[in-house]
Amino acid sequence: MRGFSVVALLSSLLMYNAQGYAQGTLSGSQSASRSVGAGFTAEHAKDFLVDFCIDCHEDDSGGEAVSFFSLATNEKGMPSLEGLETKREGTEHQGEVRDADQTWTRVLEVIRDREMPPVDADKPDAMTVSQMVTWMDRSLRVQSFMGGTPPRRLSRGEYQLTLEKLFGFQTFDLPDGFPVDRPQDGFDNLAEGLQLSPALMEAYADCARLVADQVFPPKRVLPESETRIAKPEDLVISYSSSKVVGDAMRLGMKCDPIQRSCTWPSRIESKTSANYKIVLNLSTFNRVAESEPMLVKVFARDVSSADGVSHRTLRLLQEIQVVNEDEESFSFDATLYEGQTIVLHWANASLDSDRVDKNELKGFFESKQRDNPKYLAAWHAMLEGDQGQGFRGGIGWDRVSKLLAQDDLPSITPQQEQALLKKIIGNPVLYAETVVFDVFENGPALEIHEVQIHGPVNLVDGPTEASNRRIQNRFLGGDDHEPSKVIERFLTQAFRRPVDQDTVARWLGVFEDHLAEGNSFSESMHLVIRNILLSPRFLYRCLGDAELDSYDLATRLAYFLTSGPPDEKLRKTIDRLGDPAVLRSQANRLLTGAPSSVFVRQFTEQWLEISHLNEIIPEQSLKFSRQDQRQAKLEVEHFFAELLRENHSARQLVDPDFTWTSSRIAKNIYDIEVGSNQKKANDLQRFSLERGGRYGGLLGMSAVMMATGNGVMTQPVNRGVWVLERMLGMTIPPPPDDVPAITPDTQGANTPRDLLKLHTEDGSCARCHRRIDPLGLVLENFDPVGRWRETWPESGKEIDAAVVLFDGTKIRDVIELKRWLANHPEKAAFGLAKHLMVYATGRPMSYLEQRVIEEVVRANVDQDKGLRDLVLDLICSQVFLTK
Amino acid sequence: MECRWNRRVVLQASGLSLALPGLESLEASTSRDSDVSDDQVKAKRFVSIGTYLGFYQDAFFPKQSGSNYEMSELLEEIKQHRREFTVLSGFDHQAPNGHASWNNFLCGKFPNAYSLDQQIADHLGNSYRFPSLQLSAGKASQTMSHTREGTALPMIQRPSVLYGKLFATPADQTRTEYLLRSGRSAIDSVLEEAKQLQRSISNSDRTKLNEYFESIREVERRMKVQLEHQDVALTTDYQLPDYDPVAPTLQLEAERLMYDLMALALETNSTPVLSLFIGGLGQVFTIQGKTLQAGYHALSHHGNDPEAISDLIKVEREHMKCFGRFLDQIKHKTDSRGQSLLDSTIVLLGTGMGDASRHSNRNLPTLVAGGGFKHGSHLVNEEKQGHPHLLGDLYVTLMQQLGMQVDRFSNSDRNLNDRLT
Repeated sequence: MRGFSVVALLSSLLMYNAQGYAQGTLSGSQSASRSVGAGFTAEHAKDFLVDFCIDCHEDDSGGEAVSFFSLATNEKGMPSLEGLETKREGTEHQGEVRDADQTWTRVLEVIRDREMPPVDADKPDAMTVSQMVTWMDRSLRVQSFMGGTPPRRLSRGEYQLTLEKLFGFQTFDLPDGFPVDRPQDGFDNLAEGLQLSPALMEAYADCARLVADQVFPPKRVLPESETRIAKPEDLVISYSSSKVVGDAMRLGMKCDPIQRSCTWPSRIESKTSANYKIVLNLSTFNRVAESEPMLVKVFARDVSSADGVSHRTLRLLQEIQVVNEDEESFSFDATLYEGQTIVLHWANASLDSDRVDKNELKGFFESKQRDNPKYLAAWHAMLEGDQGQGFRGGIGWDRVSKLLAQDDLPSITPQQEQALLKKIIGNPVLYAETVVFDVFENGPALEIHEVQIHGPVNLVDGPTEASNRRIQNRFLGGDDHEPSKVIERFLTQAFRRPVDQDTVARWLGVFEDHLAEGNSFSESMHLVIRNILLSPRFLYRCLGDAELDSYDLATRLAYFLTSGPPDEKLRKTIDRLGDPAVLRSQANRLLTGAPSSVFVRQFTEQWLEISHLNEIIPEQSLKFSRQDQRQAKLEVEHFFAELLRENHSARQLVDPDFTWTSSRIAKNIYDIEVGSNQKKANDLQRFSLERGGRYGGLLGMSAVMMATGNGVMTQPVNRGVWVLERMLGMTIPPPPDDVPAITPDTQGANTPRDLLKLHTEDGSCARCHRRIDPLGLVLENFDPVGRWRETWPESGKEIDAAVVLFDGTKIRDVIELKRWLANHPEKAAFGLAKHLMVYATGRPMSYLEQRVIEEVVRANVDQDKGLRDLVLDLICSQVFLTK
Repeated sequence: MECRWNRRVVLQASGLSLALPGLESLEASTSRDSDVSDDQVKAKRFVSIGTYLGFYQDAFFPKQSGSNYEMSELLEEIKQHRREFTVLSGFDHQAPNGHASWNNFLCGKFPNAYSLDQQIADHLGNSYRFPSLQLSAGKASQTMSHTREGTALPMIQRPSVLYGKLFATPADQTRTEYLLRSGRSAIDSVLEEAKQLQRSISNSDRTKLNEYFESIREVERRMKVQLEHQDVALTTDYQLPDYDPVAPTLQLEAERLMYDLMALALETNSTPVLSLFIGGLGQVFTIQGKTLQAGYHALSHHGNDPEAISDLIKVEREHMKCFGRFLDQIKHKTDSRGQSLLDSTIVLLGTGMGDASRHSNRNLPTLVAGGGFKHGSHLVNEEKQGHPHLLGDLYVTLMQQLGMQVDRFSNSDRNLNDRLT
């Protein structure tokens, strides 16, 4: 414990390296540990365990429930790692073997790091510890194992994407209430965590039917034709869009949002995509003499869509010119899709409240003033007068018109007139939706007397039908007359590998039997589809024998990098995938490094545990909006994507010279100088950073700092665990059940530092918290949204982030920590690499696999390669290639 | 509008046809195994209704507290139920203000948290056809029900969709039966596939595959049960109009249809938990033949303008009429023991917005009806030493009445048992 350099400390604390797990331990005498290791035998190891461990850890002896002696002892009852090997051969006990592997790994770590034996017990000397550790490492390397992923069910997201790819859907939305997977170790795609339940199976059956309904939809029938009539009172009024006067609905404004300028029948909706005959009875009211005809545009609209949309987004059905004061019928044919109705819009009304040519509305008021010199005075009185406050809409106009009728209306000065006109320009929506009632009353206005819709005349393909037809054609592939061909092709794609003739015959039998019972071709295919989609060979991957064949490999690669099945290019190379060069080039192709790619999004979200970010609500004083939160998450994705795209070196994970964020966050959180001539404050952009500063890299990234807290205060323990587990790839056991969480003292009497001291005062807490807490405390300069701070908010005390790491090494602040990590890029690279392999293979990494990953990482760093290389090298490693 | 409504909608509150299976048989097949015996639990169902724009407080809250209060303008519409409800004033969740936090109504202090109705559905709903149903009249512009994981549940806006969920048309029934029969016959091929696979894989992998077998056999079993129940599928002589009132101006019509269907859902024991969101955007209503002066949302920002307030209250009275009609219906419908449904159904009418004119989420207008509580008074939250009750305290009492052993909700760890039970 005398090593005070950061180097000695962190290499012991954080990880091992490729030259040997035991090397760089606390003893600091690396060469010694190597040479003495050779004379250390299993007998010595046994003595070590008997002398220092067994008293407390024998079964039922009251120590921490480490039952490793019962797991791995030979017949003579001697502690032996050989026990592992015996267990490994019996495939029945694969779970136990994995447990034993993890237990022994943990034993090695606590001995190496001097967590055990505890402070008050007899302790071995440094030399013995190092010999023991070296011996254990050597034995574990021999006896640990590769692979062993159980059958892996498609995760919720994978299932969805798989259906989309398999059938060529643009999107396939899972029904509401489709069960959500429970993440294990932060990942939602690990084989053990992906359980299957009756509820989920039922959801699969429902989905399969929905899919089959789209490929082979039930036959449509033409409903009986009918006539629907909407009178003015059957037309929709919202805000100040329209008003019924006499026997007509009047429109007076032309602004974009349909809910402010248009009207539509409230009780007419097309039940099926079809052609209809439409008749409109229209007239003009007080049209300005000699002006152009009133132009009416008729659009189609989904009745369930939002009322705030612009009419410009709607499908135009017809344009009509109206000039007559008397009711006139206009008739035309139009196609309405299922769930649509028609929308009427007066396109060349003079009153407008958006896209304001500001002088237009002003001009409208000025011309009114010319016609009636009391006009502006009445408005002024309505808004400023003592007869009640001004109000918008019909109520406001009612008051104006009453004021206009008064003989004793006080006049206003030209200055007051100008001030009023300025106000009007300042809030066009408010004034337009009030003055439009003048238009309803006095014109010019468009009048709608009646809307008739006759039909359906004949069925047409709406967007749904067109898409279904495309999907059906794709499914049949022109082989309508050879159902066996269709079925075999579908089985091959659904099961992601060729199928034997028995299988084809079985499913063809299902098809033919159904057909023979008098059902149609479509119904029979429908049945085949919804049942094949329930097969385990569709729902699971990684099935079958211990070895990954090239089909399994293609599947593993595709789901790793795209969360979906192999695409056509990958399928074409399957028989050559055993060639590492081919595998590598396919991986390289699929690893797009696009920030929006499923891989970048899913992996960063799960690896860094930021998927729950949107559930955290930062306290208002932190000035961090919902929008900022989304951008903070995007920052991680864009940052990670660039690392992959540009093949940046591993040190950039910790201390990069760039980041991607919004100029709002750059300015408000990262204290970056943002020029005035910036793009929109919320658009993501690349910013250069000084290396060696407070910000940049995974530590101190806003999303990470937020995800490890609760939006109100920081949680140093969470941050410490996050650094150790997610960033550096270590395993921290969960806290014992009987320990209450520390209740934060918001009265400000204690600082987080004082509170955490409790951890180190309690023996059983201290063992792990000596390791965890300092790494959390050193990050205390970041507030709950990642902004730098110098004082603790509760107490106002200056933050002292200097910490003594568990072996006695002192560091001053996070900058010092980052500097050290940047100089040892293999630490964070290991954390990344280990999580990549967990995500890719769907299993936790064994002792041996972790050592292989270390070797890949070491080679990557030694050869100055980049992170893209790292991903590709890992794909070509035995860890990825073993089932 | 009202006239048209009455002509088109054939429903009467008692419009269930004889085609309905007897409630006893249904209850036998749906009631859950409970550790709490039925006699101890006073309430078995929970209905929550939330209005997006709240209620004008002066028209909602009575002026006097206690049991001798005078009906307020809005409560006047449900005065016939005076002994069956309690009105509460001065309660809220101390949640943030604004429309965006509206869902504090059922979520409590923290928006998007595990909502009251879902906590109840997770406790009561497992063995029902639908553990809970979420509905909206008008656009669902906010979220209301949130799962344990914080996911917002979508709401059914079309009465025809809810109707289709509850009652099968003959055509639907034929299709369902066809799908079940054909599906059952083909599932053997799937099982054959799985068995072959099982033979070819190692022991350790079989554990995973066993999950598969258990699940698919259970699905097969349920198909069989469903087929057996095909002939007793729920039907009703209740008829919807031949259009869905999804147009914004028809929201009040949609509201009445939803309430009708909710009453039917409770009567047929289809679900124990219902939530209804009552929207409010810019639509201009026509009430009793008279078109209002401004859109609903604009009226809610009345700025204390008396004309606007008067129109706003007209809309709110319509909400209360619909609500009163619903109370009528479930009061007259009975469960298998002949007890009024209202007695064992807690109905919570409330909102996440205390005063829409100011966007304040304090002092939320709230009313509880039915559920076997001691009703009939106006409960005013008294601020005692700066420690007033929270609305969550009421929710704790509601959950306990439903047999849940809980003593907290969101930021609350007290209850109102002494006032209501």
